[in-house]
Amino acid sequence: MAARLENPLSATDESTLQDVIFGIIAKEANIDRSRISVDSTLKDLGVSSLDAAVIIFEIGDRFDVTMPDHDANFDIGTAGGLVAAVAKLLAEKPGAT
Amino acid sequence: MTRLGRRVVITGMGAISALGHTARETWTAMREGRVGIAPIGNIPTERLLVGIAAEVRGYDPAAHFDARRLPLLDRVSQFALHAAREAVAHSGLDFRAGDLGERTACIIGTGVGGENSHNEQARRFYGENNPRVHPLSILRVMANAPACHVGIEFGLKGPAFTVASACASANHAMSQAFEMVRSGRADLAVTGGAEACVTVPTMKAWEAMRVMADDTCRPFCRQRRGMVLGEGAGMFVFEEFARARRRGATILAEFAGSGATADAADMVFPSETTVARAMSQALADAGLNPSDVGYINAHGTATAANDAIETRAIHRAFGPYADQVAVSSTKSMHGHALGAAGAVELVAAIGALRERVIPPTMNFLDSDPECDLDYVPNVAREKAVRAVLSNSFAFGGLNCVVALKGA
Repeated sequence: MAARLENPLSATDESTLQDVIFGIIAKEANIDRSRISVDSTLKDLGVSSLDAAVIIFEIGDRFDVTMPDHDANFDIGTAGGLVAAVAKLLAEKPGAT
Repeated sequence: MTRLGRRVVITGMGAISALGHTARETWTAMREGRVGIAPIGNIPTERLLVGIAAEVRGYDPAAHFDARRLPLLDRVSQFALHAAREAVAHSGLDFRAGDLGERTACIIGTGVGGENSHNEQARRFYGENNPRVHPLSILRVMANAPACHVGIEFGLKGPAFTVASACASANHAMSQAFEMVRSGRADLAVTGGAEACVTVPTMKAWEAMRVMADDTCRPFCRQRRGMVLGEGAGMFVFEEFARARRRGATILAEFAGSGATADAADMVFPSETTVARAMSQALADAGLNPSDVGYINAHGTATAANDAIETRAIHRAFGPYADQVAVSSTKSMHGHALGAAGAVELVAAIGALRERVIPPTMNFLDSDPECDLDYVPNVAREKAVRAVLSNSFAFGGLNCVVALKGA
């Protein structure tokens, strides 16, 4: 399990965020990181539903955010969507700049 | 064929316990009288009153399971798999060949299941106020997980489930597997028990019952102060006798019968008559007379109540032969592994039959007038035996006794 960042808000820069999230997807789904692009769906990447749940958990744990399950405002079906969702949740956190 | 069906033999054995990471190591320690009870090393002890347990030591999960699989495995499932791998390798069987997997049951006992994972997620949620619980928690905690993982590893597609009856779980599970092979519902079974219960909350809960010893486990002697928690697994391959003989398998012992009764009386205080009836049933089921039995691996928890009542129950079931049977509690060495207890103790029963050595009751000081049988104190004894009983009695008054005969 990934250790939580000391200061999650320092990772709000999108490219850093993308880097970390793609890294989590690659690790948890055991796939080559170069296969992942912003448009990749977890399904395209061959990620099982159980691995997807673990990926979403690990991302949440890393950034201390809780990904909504049934919320039309969040599209977490693609790798880019996951990055955007985390950026949005971090921005909405109390104390975020 | 026996009166009730086909004969069932044991053709593979595996174990992991405080005495070693294999059945061979576990048995060797038992016959040498080595005690696996020691100061707790795997969990924080600051908040514990009792600082000893019979833990599995020197065990590295990453050495046995790859990083992809490990997140799905609570320690209890790891122990089950570890012991099952040894048992299956020992049997020489490939369950993926032909329809063998379809003909094989997988029935495993556990008292509490994935306790470590349950505890870890509860600590995160309540202790750290972390709102997110790991998505594999259900799959790790569920009590049937050990049976699922063993089935997946070897391709076992017959009846598969977990049996839970606290300290009698393994004996009940193995008895169920025995019934299936005896009746023809399955030709083989991978069966036994697994437990990984040495966690801080579990220790605290046992402490609160005031049945835990703080020095060591001293069954049947006057200075006994209670039980010591253990952990581990024992797994076996059961096989229909004619099949085992046809393929030239090494037969470790015959699983000859079992007896199961319930006190239906008290949640903690055992009943002499019902416990005795479980032993008599096991003898009758196996076609044995009391005089045929040379060794009883006792439940022998070292609580004041159990050891005195188990002694009286042995007198009741064995009559004049009670004084001739060797009785020992190997829990004095491997601790009380709850749902795995009967399985780890079956290693002792098989060892006694095969090597003609009775494992001792260790840590024995002075005799207790309430416990007046031959407990093989402190030193193993050479004795040829042709049949053995192994007792397990659970909280809630659920008793299961199994009977083995030499191969």
